[in-house]
Amino acid sequence: MNIKRDRVTGALLVLVGIVVFVMTSRLRVPFSMSYPGPKALPMIAAFGFVVCGAGIFLEGVKKQEADKPFLSREGWLRMALAMAVLAAYVFVSSLIGYLITTPFAAYALTTLFAKGSGSTLKGRIIYSVLLSVIIYVIYIYVFGLSLPSGSLF
Amino acid sequence: MIANLPYILSQLVQPFNLILMIVGTAVGIIFGAIPGLSGTLAVMLFMPLTYSMDAGTAVIFLIALWIGGCSGAFIGSVLLGIPGSASAVSTCWDGYPMSQQGKSGKALAIGMVASFTGTFFSAIIAALLSETIADIAFLMGPWEYFSLCFVAITMVLAISKGNMFKGLVSACIGLLFASVGFSPIDAEPRFVFDNMYLMSGLGMTVVLIGVFSVSSIVTSYGKGFGALPEVDNKSVRGIGITLGEIKEQLVNIIRSFLIGLGIGFLPGMGSGLSNLVAYSSAKNASKDPDSFGKGNPGGIWAPEVANNASIGGAMIPMAALGIPGDSTTALLIGALTIHGLEMGPMVFKNSGHIVYLMFATVAVVACIILVMQALGMRLFPQILKVPYHYMYPALLIISMVSAYVDAGSLYKCGMMLVFAVVGIFMAYGGIPTAPLILAFILGPTLESNMLKAFQYTGTVTTFFTRPISCVMMVIGIGCVFSPIIRTLIGKRKGSSS
Repeated sequence: MNIKRDRVTGALLVLVGIVVFVMTSRLRVPFSMSYPGPKALPMIAAFGFVVCGAGIFLEGVKKQEADKPFLSREGWLRMALAMAVLAAYVFVSSLIGYLITTPFAAYALTTLFAKGSGSTLKGRIIYSVLLSVIIYVIYIYVFGLSLPSGSLF
Repeated sequence: MIANLPYILSQLVQPFNLILMIVGTAVGIIFGAIPGLSGTLAVMLFMPLTYSMDAGTAVIFLIALWIGGCSGAFIGSVLLGIPGSASAVSTCWDGYPMSQQGKSGKALAIGMVASFTGTFFSAIIAALLSETIADIAFLMGPWEYFSLCFVAITMVLAISKGNMFKGLVSACIGLLFASVGFSPIDAEPRFVFDNMYLMSGLGMTVVLIGVFSVSSIVTSYGKGFGALPEVDNKSVRGIGITLGEIKEQLVNIIRSFLIGLGIGFLPGMGSGLSNLVAYSSAKNASKDPDSFGKGNPGGIWAPEVANNASIGGAMIPMAALGIPGDSTTALLIGALTIHGLEMGPMVFKNSGHIVYLMFATVAVVACIILVMQALGMRLFPQILKVPYHYMYPALLIISMVSAYVDAGSLYKCGMMLVFAVVGIFMAYGGIPTAPLILAFILGPTLESNMLKAFQYTGTVTTFFTRPISCVMMVIGIGCVFSPIIRTLIGKRKGSSS
């Protein structure tokens, strides 16, 4: 089945526009022509979402030629995997902090991204540890900033 | 201006600032040279590092990253035929063919000298003009500021690739993100869901790094990185450019400089457009237009002088009016606000020393880049050989760390991942990102000036009865409807012929 990307994008934008419109209409300060108040900016955004979303959807309907796929099935999986690694990195950092988590996260990402490039295990491990330590030293000792220490410590 | 010289010199000669300037410039060049990265991204990623710095040091570091990124963009264009960023698109058209003819050294040298010329002299002009323009800006009220913000956003729409709806939607996403938190003037909470992290708004770093950096890296990985590009740096020998050759291009250089400065000055426009306009002007004015696209030196001089002259051009409205000339200056305005510097006409009265330090840094960094690129001419092509599997994980880790440092909370890192999903959706739908940056950063200024204007007069007509505001509003509305106007004009021409 050939799903036209513009149709999906347009429909989703219209939906977002409606949700924003409903949420904005619940704000307490009223909208008037003499003083639009806090509703004005989100209302403009909601109006834009609905009108442009409808426009993008209609263009998708009119379009004759098939869309080039944005990503292959494997591509979507790869992307989901990378996002999952990042989400896990954030979660585990909140428990055991930056210094322990980052080498593992860096190694996981390097290994994912290196698939088929012929990099060595040793190289990836050394790189991940070095990267984590260099960032730590720069942020903590050079610029005096703080990094996650973890709630378990 | 002269009164600020002792402060500027004291800042520029501080060893820590000097090191930051050199490191920032080198990092900026690397980000500029690698296709897919940019100086804007470098500013975004390293901005949180400046939170612990004093304002002067922060300005020096951020400017070095920005200017390095602008100047480095031509390296990818010349050696790979792939522009490092949108500002060096037309540099490819003659830079790459020249490189293929075995004259990489000459092409790089032209790019180097042209970048220096554009950046250095535009910074001087910006320093001379900004305060005068700021004095004029005192005559402006909220109507004019609103209409300037409006024009800045709509002009980006008018030049955004693809269809107009997508450009507008991108701006609407920016406006929606800017709406989160307490509203200006009325202090009404919007889209906060009783969450304390949302009360003060979404935060520039978290939104922009999520939408631009994380999403683009993850999307590139999804698409597959492919093989590393082949870089021919064997033919890079010596500078290979003579004074006579520069003299030959003098008219082209001056014309391109003025084009770059002018386009950079216009709100919302920048080097992405100026390099294209300068290239076509050079080609049209040439006695041998057919040689363009085949390695004509004029085709490198024009875009490189113009895109770098846009730096000074963009700094004038940034400093004098608080209105960004392009997306990077929009980011810089946000970054400087964090350091307590509210850009606009009052900045010359309150923090004039910092503004002039900014201009001086641009000029000094331009010189540093010239020296760095001349010395590292054979080294810089190696930047393009850094394997993706080492570069991208480093950028992702820095993105995470930047989001954490921005708010001191991992919650913001989680939010950044949500914005990365928004960025992926935008890439899926072919929605451009530049209007989002401008609308998100200008949103609060746009809204507060609009509300102030209504408080003063209670009617929308004032926006059209004040001359400057009226002109800006008409231009802005014209930009929104420009595709329809272009289509109508095209049809009329077609029917008359």
